[in-house]
Amino acid sequence: MTLIHDLTAGLPAGAVTIDRVDTMLYAHDASDFVGRTGAVCFPETTEQVCHVVRTCAKHDVPFVARGSGTGLAGGATPLDGAVVIVLTRMNRILEIDPINRMAWVEPGVLNLDLTRGVEQSDDLFGLHFAPDPSSQQSCTIGGNVANNSGGPHCLADGVTSAHVLACEVVLSDGSIVLLGSEGSEDDGLDLRGAFVGSEGMFGIATKICVRLTQNPPHVRTMLLDFESVRAGADTVGAIIAAGIVPAALEMMDKLCLQAVEAYIHAGLPVDAAAVLLVEVTGLPHQVEAEADLIARIGREKGARHVRVAQDEAERALLWKGRKTAFGAIARIKPNYYLHDTVVPRGALPEVLDRIYEIARRHELLVLNVFHAGDGNLHPLLVFDRREPGVLDRVHAAGEEIVRVSVEAGGVLSGEHGIGLEKKDFMPLLFDDHDLSAQIAVRHAFDPIGLANPRKVLPSPAACGDLRHVPEGAWI
Amino acid sequence: MSVVTGLDLVDDQLASCVGCGLCLPHCPTYRVTGQERHSPRGRIAVMRAVQWEGQSLDDDAVESLSTCIQCRGCEPACPSGVPYGRLIEGAKIAIESDPSLRQNPRWLRPALRMLGHHRLLLVGSRILALAQRIGLFRRRWPRLPLRGGPALRSSAADPDVWIFTGCVMDAWSRPSHRAAAVLIETTGSTFGVSGGGCCGALHAHAGLTADARRLALSIMRSMPGSAPILVDSAGCGAALKDYGHLLGTSAAAEFSARVLDVHEWLAPRLDHLIPVETDRRPTVIVQEPCHLRHVQRAHGPMREVVALVADIVDTDDDGLCCGAGGAFSMLQPELAARVRERKVAAIDRARADRQLMVVSANPGCAQHLGAAGVDVVHPLEFVADRIVRRNP
Repeated sequence: MTLIHDLTAGLPAGAVTIDRVDTMLYAHDASDFVGRTGAVCFPETTEQVCHVVRTCAKHDVPFVARGSGTGLAGGATPLDGAVVIVLTRMNRILEIDPINRMAWVEPGVLNLDLTRGVEQSDDLFGLHFAPDPSSQQSCTIGGNVANNSGGPHCLADGVTSAHVLACEVVLSDGSIVLLGSEGSEDDGLDLRGAFVGSEGMFGIATKICVRLTQNPPHVRTMLLDFESVRAGADTVGAIIAAGIVPAALEMMDKLCLQAVEAYIHAGLPVDAAAVLLVEVTGLPHQVEAEADLIARIGREKGARHVRVAQDEAERALLWKGRKTAFGAIARIKPNYYLHDTVVPRGALPEVLDRIYEIARRHELLVLNVFHAGDGNLHPLLVFDRREPGVLDRVHAAGEEIVRVSVEAGGVLSGEHGIGLEKKDFMPLLFDDHDLSAQIAVRHAFDPIGLANPRKVLPSPAACGDLRHVPEGAWI
Repeated sequence: MSVVTGLDLVDDQLASCVGCGLCLPHCPTYRVTGQERHSPRGRIAVMRAVQWEGQSLDDDAVESLSTCIQCRGCEPACPSGVPYGRLIEGAKIAIESDPSLRQNPRWLRPALRMLGHHRLLLVGSRILALAQRIGLFRRRWPRLPLRGGPALRSSAADPDVWIFTGCVMDAWSRPSHRAAAVLIETTGSTFGVSGGGCCGALHAHAGLTADARRLALSIMRSMPGSAPILVDSAGCGAALKDYGHLLGTSAAAEFSARVLDVHEWLAPRLDHLIPVETDRRPTVIVQEPCHLRHVQRAHGPMREVVALVADIVDTDDDGLCCGAGGAFSMLQPELAARVRERKVAAIDRARADRQLMVVSANPGCAQHLGAAGVDVVHPLEFVADRIVRRNP
């Protein structure tokens, strides 16, 4: 029996496809790493996911789980004809428990739909799901769990792992396990903690119990603009040093402001070298005191203006600008490539200078929009792939940026994951002992090695069918 | 096998998608199928494969492209401003230009042709309505009106504004035109009437460009001069505003510049409209038609006009399409019904067990939702019934 025949046997009609359009579309995520799709499945239940995984084991074919395909590191790119398990149809909010501030959801629920669903179910409690990646309107909770995603408000609230209580997981042999629990922490090893951020290598989460967070009683959102990037970066460190951890502390540079302003028309200062978008939350007096102090620190460091959002509409508009920045890039150039290294806050001014210098040297445009508060950089190299030879320059510059970040005491990824993109950089950070320990953990979860193989952990084997965009092709 | 080797789309427009996926939740077909091939990002990738990589425009690719409702909800969601409407329109033209790929059923072309023959349309509609009454015609359509009342007549020879009456709108929803006339007169202005004629929107959507152009020229002749042209159907308004592009002439561009949705014209003149005194101000659910919200981006004025006489409740689905999409609900009935289920559920949530009316400024949406048992009234009729009339 063929793989397709066996897959079809346990799934609803039309839930397995090898049509050319589907294999093409599912051969990559939002990054430009194109793999090779064996088949695409759209399961609707945990049992159907088990069926697909067991069938893959029977045929010794790898599988990769996928949500909305907004990932930027190639984590959901299928290699070696892997079966892509698309979880968008498992998109139900199963249970909301406002008293205990938690909810059970399927992995295909969109991040923003979860918060909206909580509001619809009972807005008296004023709860939300805290991790808010910029792609939150599109990305799925399953993808957030796989990448341990962050977001602007994770500076104060913590990243996804701090908001996942338990996961029902299908392992690569088709068995179902529950990691973590609704209640207090389990005895023994924190397998839930190991699973969150494992980028699909440990299994597939089919139900997730998330923690819900109280909405803040009072919010103030402000925009500080600077004549130099360095003045903005210095302000970041000074705010934290003054004892304030804002709910969010984001930076956007000039090129980014220009692209975003063309979309949202919010009156952003497009002549500024950089802006900081700062949000403070809490009780009214505390919020006012912190906002005043932040404005004073900003002015001392050279802020030209401090714009305070006057109402919820203005606040929403400023955030829309920040959260759609990546998507607005085509207003400058049609393609982009970015890293998301994290550096110590104190090193921000120096590393940013180096990034602009690297881009200049490679004759590339670079645009910075990032989570400044936790030093999580997102330098976007923007280019037009139709320009001959530009990809080589982009990749060379990207590699230099990673090296500079690691030399400054940083790490490879803040939130986008390692995926395919950064796995070859792993030895920069980890020695052989570290890596073999990680491989051993992976082996414990997936001894047959079919769950999203050849991702994250560097392997000596060459990537036969992986191409970093063939000549003349578009994705 | 297809003879089409490219789609003749503008390369820079096709290149302007970075594939971020922020459009996905705003696409009604992706929302119901969860498949990338039914999303704007997926469809653009399919267009690229055909135009740039020499992939054939086969049945597989055509399925992806022809299931697009063309609601254009992805456009305001796109930070890079990808002109998706232009791209999908071009792709549909390419599909229809190849006889072996043609998606439109045989009956579509003659049916759309009939829209251009106004008397025939009126008689045909009456026969259909009669057939429904005696049980001959059992399709799940809402009841068509047996009698729409007399046709609207111009109130002046040299009018301040034109009212565009359209084809199906004139056959099925004359009360909307009359409401527009009442409101315009109450502001102290006179109006002329275009007379029956089809704007060509459905033809343009179906890739029948030549038919659409012919109809556009005829519409332009019916409303000469420089007076504003007011449209009370969101779909027709969007089409009239696009004649500049459709015909590519300066005369057409000048004509399009005169076109306004009725609400756009009324909103700055609300001082002239006095709400009837009432004990309880009504509450109403607003359904914003895609061609008003995403294409004309004129839902703001519509809301202002409605807010004159009622409190507004919104659905919580960010203006996601109802699935009507001109002829889409007839061409892809199963998909259109699944899209509609989401909209009806959103309306039910907004209702929260109250007896609330739904207003929609597009006859296609009203018909499509009506077939699922949702009573929809045109916002102009809703407002005209609740203001002090100047000429009772």
